[in-house]
Amino acid sequence: MIYYGCDIPEHLYYDVERDVWIRFEEDGTAVLGMTDPAQTRCGKLVAVRFKRPGKVVRQGRALATIESGKWVGPFPAPFTCEIVETNEAAFTRDILLANKDPYGEGWLVRVRPLQLESERDHLVTGEEAVQRYMARIEANNIRCFRCVE
Amino acid sequence: MKTVRLLDLGEVSPLRSQTVFHAVAYAMTPDTPDTILLVSPSAPYVCIGYHQDLEREVDLAYCREHNLPVYRREVGGGAVYLDNGQVFTQWIFHRDRLPASLEERFALYIRPLVATYRALGIDAYHRPINDIHVRGKKIGGTGAAQIGMAEVVVGSLMFTFDKRTMAQVLKVPSEKMRDKIYQSLEQYMTTMEEQLGYVPDREEVKALYIRHCEEALGVRVVPGEWTEAEEAMARELDDRFTSEEWLFQKGRLRPPVVKIHEDVYVVEAAHKVPGGLIRVVARLREGHIDDISISGDFTVLPAFAVAAMEQAVRGLRATQEALLTRLRDVYRSMNVQSPGVTAEDFVTAIVMATSSHSQ
Repeated sequence: MIYYGCDIPEHLYYDVERDVWIRFEEDGTAVLGMTDPAQTRCGKLVAVRFKRPGKVVRQGRALATIESGKWVGPFPAPFTCEIVETNEAAFTRDILLANKDPYGEGWLVRVRPLQLESERDHLVTGEEAVQRYMARIEANNIRCFRCVE
Repeated sequence: MKTVRLLDLGEVSPLRSQTVFHAVAYAMTPDTPDTILLVSPSAPYVCIGYHQDLEREVDLAYCREHNLPVYRREVGGGAVYLDNGQVFTQWIFHRDRLPASLEERFALYIRPLVATYRALGIDAYHRPINDIHVRGKKIGGTGAAQIGMAEVVVGSLMFTFDKRTMAQVLKVPSEKMRDKIYQSLEQYMTTMEEQLGYVPDREEVKALYIRHCEEALGVRVVPGEWTEAEEAMARELDDRFTSEEWLFQKGRLRPPVVKIHEDVYVVEAAHKVPGGLIRVVARLREGHIDDISISGDFTVLPAFAVAAMEQAVRGLRATQEALLTRLRDVYRSMNVQSPGVTAEDFVTAIVMATSSHSQ
C-alpha cells in the first residue's frame, strides 16, 4: 500500500509508535528496519552506529544510533531481543541504504526475540498496519521521499 | 494556559553545559514539564558531534596545550569551539508537543531566536532547514536529537564567537585549509557584537528570548526547579562524558569537509598523478567555487599559470565539463607545460574536493 508516497508493505509487522518494521523468519529470528515514514522524517543518513551481535537489548532501548543531517536518535527495539547480525558492512559501503530501500537492502539488524509472547500485542500487520499508518501520515502531514543516488 | 518550565542555570562548568540538557532528557518521565534550559559555559571547550571520530576531527595537541577539554554530545553535526560568548538555548520537550516534521520543528525553535535578534535591531532570518542568517552570514546553528524519551532541540544566542580559536581546534589536512576555514568563518559567520558594535546585556537578551518563546509556543514560560533526579542523572553523565571510552569511540569516516553554514563549505582533496601530488582547497558557495587554492609538488610552466587556473574556475559550478573547458582554455592560451600532469588531472582533483561535501 502506498499512501502519500509512503510504502507500507502489508506482509510485514510494525511497531507503529517506534516506527520500526519487523519480518519474522522461519528460524525464529526477526529482521528489523526503519519504515518509509521513519527514513523520510530523518532525512539522509550520515552515520549509523550498531550495537554488537550478542548484545541483549531491552524493549524500547537502542539497537543502533542513527544520525542524519538534521537529527540523531535511537533505532529502538520493538521487543526485548538479542542482536544476531547487523547490516553494518552494507551501510559502510552505502550509508544511504535505508533512504533508498528501507524494506530491502536497508534492513538494520537481525535479532532473536527473547520474550515475544508478552511483548507482541502492540505489533500490527496487514490492513490494520495500513490503517494505523494512514492515520499517522494524515495527522502528521507526512510525505515520503526516497533517495535515488 | 499551558506552561513550560524555564531552567536558567546561568554559568556552569564546560562539562555541565553539555550534561545538563542530556540529564533533563534522560530523567524525563511522563510528568516532567517541557523545559527550556538556558546555560553558558564558564570557560572555553570543544564539543564534538555524536558520531565523530575525535582523533580525526580535533587537534588534540592544541587542545591539551591550551587546556581546552573536549566533550562528545549526543547531538549530531561537527566539532565546535564554545565559550562564554554564547548562551545555549536548549529545548527538552515531550515528543508529541513538538511538530513531527523536522522542518517544522526547526522553524518553531528558530522563531524566538530570530525574533530576539530582530528586537535588538539585527536583521536576522531563518535560513531553512536549521540556520539563522544575517545578510548571508550565519549567527548560530541548531541541532535536534531524541535523547531518552525526550525530543531535544539545541542552539544558542550568539553574543561573541572566537573564530580564530575555532579554526585552530580542528584537525585539518593542511594549514592552507585552516586558513581557508578561518577566512570563511570571518566572511560567513557573525555575532551580536559584530552586528551591533557592542555586546548587549545578557539578562535583557534572555528576557527578550523568553518572551518570544512564549509567543511562538503559545505558553507561559515559568521559572522552575532543577530536580534531584536531574542532578543525579547529570552526575552519572559527567562520568560518562569524561570517560575515555565515550570520548574516543570510533566514529564515521568522512572526507575533509568543514561546513561553515547551510550554503558554504570548505573542502579539500589530494590527487596523486605521475607528475606529483595535486592538493586542492576550495570554498563552495551554493554549489559554485567561491574560492580555491591549487598547490602541490608538480611543475607547471609558466609558474603563474596555477594562479590563472585558480582564477579561471572561480565562480564556476563545480562540474567536470565546465571545469575542463575552462582549464583547457588556460592551457591553450598560456601554452602551459606540466610534465606528468594534465588539465584533466587538475579537474579530477577539484571534483574530488568539491564532491566530498555531498557525501
